Parts: sequence; structure tokens; C-alpha cells
Amino acid sequence: MRRQRKTVDLLVEIATGAIVLVFLFPVLYLILTSLKTQVDAFQYPPVWVFRPTFSNYREVFDLYPFGRFLVNSLIVASASTVAAVALGAMAAYALARFSFRRSKDVAFWILSIRMTPPVAAIIPIFILMRMLGLLDSWASLVIAYSTMNLPFATWLLRGFFSEIPRELDESALVDGCSWFSAFRRIALPLAAPGLVVTAIFVFIFSWNEFLFALILTATKAQTLPVAVTGFIRETGIMWGHMAAAGVIIMTPMVMFSLAVQRYMVRGLTMGAIK
Amino acid sequence: MAPEAPDVQPPTRVAHSIHPTIAATPLPQSRRPIVRVPVWLVFLGPTVFVLLAITVFPLVYSLALSLHSWTMGARAGWRWVGVQNFAMVLRADPYFWTSVRVTLTYVGAAVGLELVLGLAIALLLNRRADGRGGTVQTLLILPTMMTPVVVGIVWRLLYNPDLGFLNYVVTRLGLPPQHWLGDLGTALAAVVVADIWEWTPFMALVMLAGLRAMPRDPFEAGAIDGASGWQAFRYITLPLLTPTILVGVLIRLMDAFKTFDLVFVLTKGGPGMSTEVLSYYTYRYGFKFFHMGYAAALSYILLAIVVIISQIFVRRLAHHEVEL
Repeated sequence: MRRQRKTVDLLVEIATGAIVLVFLFPVLYLILTSLKTQVDAFQYPPVWVFRPTFSNYREVFDLYPFGRFLVNSLIVASASTVAAVALGAMAAYALARFSFRRSKDVAFWILSIRMTPPVAAIIPIFILMRMLGLLDSWASLVIAYSTMNLPFATWLLRGFFSEIPRELDESALVDGCSWFSAFRRIALPLAAPGLVVTAIFVFIFSWNEFLFALILTATKAQTLPVAVTGFIRETGIMWGHMAAAGVIIMTPMVMFSLAVQRYMVRGLTMGAIK
Repeated sequence: MAPEAPDVQPPTRVAHSIHPTIAATPLPQSRRPIVRVPVWLVFLGPTVFVLLAITVFPLVYSLALSLHSWTMGARAGWRWVGVQNFAMVLRADPYFWTSVRVTLTYVGAAVGLELVLGLAIALLLNRRADGRGGTVQTLLILPTMMTPVVVGIVWRLLYNPDLGFLNYVVTRLGLPPQHWLGDLGTALAAVVVADIWEWTPFMALVMLAGLRAMPRDPFEAGAIDGASGWQAFRYITLPLLTPTILVGVLIRLMDAFKTFDLVFVLTKGGPGMSTEVLSYYTYRYGFKFFHMGYAAALSYILLAIVVIISQIFVRRLAHHEVEL
């Protein structure tokens, strides 16, 4: 009986290892390719042992305005994150603390915005940005991303705020705090982990976004995901550059997801599953 | 004598859920605002305003646009055509229906397989001893957290007919190399596989969270009654997991209908129309052909499909008393 248990445990471990390998292999393959020279990259069958080089990473910055795309992505994602979390925190506090008529409806409406396919919203937003003269600017993307992520931020933060015991802000109110100072001095500090988690998720979503960036920007304000698709040309793909660019784009996201791993499921399901 | 006694106001509607004594405590005379705006409105107002602006404006504008014929860049302005765009899409556009079929195949195959594989992986991980789960979960979630465009790049690299890893494996097995993304027969399946790779970890972790939150008692009762492993799964695990499954599938469905990045990087909708999902079809009409009115009509139809399908799930969820 015991031996049988052990065998099962071992099989479970082996299967788990195999599954992890299957899901990690494509990423490892990308990283390997990014470290190969163009000659090694075109070896067939693929070579597994080679002298690694960082020349692709250097060339990505030397041959393309990759530094500028990186700055664009950083600025757009940061600004959108700050805007979405600031507005979202206030709205979330209201939804978590006050009950008013139709609060359920407001909540459901906020959620349903999350369902809208971006392609359905992009046409009017594109025309609006063109009228405002904001095409190919950081502002257009910051407006688009912060509003797009606002429902998500509100929803996730609502969960975090409602976990703070009511008695805490109530006693602050009794002691003469206004609602605003109760929010600022009591609720916000207590919700700090939730704010950080929400901010990281909004940053990841903004950083990864593709369709709006593709349509609202041309050259000046282009972000990394759009810029990297420019490496696909009719004449062929510079695989080394493409792989290096891909690794650069995904690395910060991997770091961030490590930071929020405890809240991963909660963030990805908008708090429905904790 | 309580000094505030003459000043007591009826509790406002806002306050009724808060502690009654707080609601009844009046503000000091000097700090009492002149106009009484409910506090919740001050907190919620900015967000509601912003969301109204980004939902109502595009929806109304798109609706207006969809009732006109307008080619962006052309000299002619908007021309009223009524419901002609919608009629064209639904009755005279065979490509639209091809795209619907592609989209439904894509969404159904991807989400269905992600659910089955995700559940299987979750059941496996749930059998492992606790404590070491963290590392595995962290590694596993990587595809989901990756930038979708990079997912596309990774799979283009793997599918590359000349130097891709997949053809290396296939030829080693003695089979002829395939043109995975360029062949009518394999292109859609190839994109679905990339989607499955990206999103199965998400499903698995959601299901695992559901499994871990389950009560133990029903399983113990089942074991006493001599339920087999399969019976326990079918009659205890599955019913208890239904709300979790609904949440996972709903979220994946909403996102799968939006799929654009993967198709853009991998196939651009080709070959032929074999991978042309509705998002991509709408994008092409709007931003390649600049037929804005027609694209607006298409986007409305896509929106309607997503809303209807999501509603079905939201209703089911409400039935299970899950607060989403």
C-alpha cells in the first residue's frame, strides 16, 4: 500500500515536470534563439550548443529606434496605471462602503464594459483622437488604456476595500475625520497591497496592449509590441533581432508576475476567484 | 443635555448601511457643506463620468456611423443609408459568414480544449503535496502573462517551415515537413494551438484555486460510501466546481472573441480566409479599406454576439450565487 502510494507520487511528480517543460519550452527556445548569431539561428537541424552572443540585443538598439519604443511603452504604461488606479480606488471605495440604490447596477455595468471587444470601440476612438489631433501621441494611448483598465481596477480594488473591517473607518469618522481623510488615512494605507497588485496588473495589460497602439500610433509614440511586428518584413524575418526584442518585451512582465503570484488568479478573474 | 440634540438630522440614504449613530452625528457647523452632495457620488462620480464618456460616446457614435456610408479619406462625407450596412453584412456578405464560422470554431476549440486540459492539469497539481506548489504555478503561468505579440513571435519561430522546431520534430519522426501557418488545412489549428498554450495555464490555476477551496466533508462521506475515483469526480468534484468552471469559461470566452494580436502576428487572417476571426475582419474593413460605416456595423454585430453569450453565462453564474 505504502509502496503503491510512493509510485503514484512519483508519477505525479514526473507528469508535473513534463507539463511544466511543455509550457516553458517555447519560451526557452525564444531565449536560445535570441542568443544565437544569424548563422547559428539558421542552422538546421537546430543547434543546441553554441557560443552565446548578445549582439542581437545590441543590434536591436543600434539598428532600430528601440530605445525610443521602450521609453514610449514605459511612459504610456506608467501614466495609464497611475490614472486608472487613482480613479479606480475612489470608485472602489464608494462601491465597497456605501450602499445606495442601484449600486448593484453600477457594479454590473462596470463589469460589462470589460466584455466589449476593443475592435468595437476602436473606430469611434480613432476618429475622436484624429479630431483632437492626438493621433501618434502618448496622450491618446494613456487616455485609451486608463479608461479601458478603469473597470478592471475598480472591480479588483472593490474586493480589497471590502476586506478592510468597516469598524476601522467608522471609528475614524466618530473621531471627527471626514470621509476623505478616513479614505486617505485609514482605507488607502490598509489597502496598499491591493493597490500594488492592481497597479501591477494594469501596468501589465497596458504594456501588452496591441490593437489600440497599432491604430492610434504611427512612428513617434509607437510602443514595443507594435514596433516588434515591424521586424516581420516581406524580405524575411531577422529572427535574432525579433527574438531579442521579444525577450526584452516579456522580461519586465515576467518579473511583475513573480511579484503578484499570490494574487495571480484573483487578478486574472477580476476577483471572482480568490 | 446633549448639545447636538436639536440638530439631529434624519439619516441620509447613503448612511443607512453605516452605523446609525455616525449618520446621526451632525458635522460641526463650520464644516457643513452648503450644497449637499452625497459622499458616494463624490467618490464614484469621476469614474462613472469617465466610463460614460468612453462607453456612451463610442456606442452612440458607432451606431450613427453604422447607419451611414463613409469611406475615410474620400471626399464625400457621411451618406445616410439606414440599415443597409447591417442588411449587407447579414444577407449579402459571404465573407462575413465565413468569418463567423472561423471565429466560432476558434473560440469553441480553444476554450473547450483549454477547459479540459486546464482541469486535467489542476487535478494533477492538486494531488501533489502542498508547499512546493508555488514554484510550479509561477513557472506555469508564464505563457499567460507574456505579451501576446511575443506569444505570436514564439510560435511563428516554432512553426517556421525552414528552421522551426516543429518541422525538425516532424522530419525526425519520418513525416514530411509542413507549412503550418501557410496551409489551408493546418493554419487555424496552428493558431488555436498557440492560444491553448497561452491560456491553458490560466484555466489550470483557476481550477486549482477552485479545487483547493473545496470542503473535505463530501469526499470523506463519499469515501465511506465506497465511491470510486471516477464517481467522486463526477458526482462530488464536478458539481462543486461548476461555479469556478463557469467563471473561467466566461472570462476566456470574452477574451477569445477579442483575439487579434495572435492572428495579426501569425497569419494576418490567411491563407485565404482560414484564420480571419471577426476582430480581424472588422479591423480590415475599417483600417485597410477604410469603409468606416460598414466596419461600424460589423463591430456592432460582434458586440452583440459577445454580449449575448456573456449574458447566458452571467445568468448561470447568478443561479449559482457567484458574485462576479
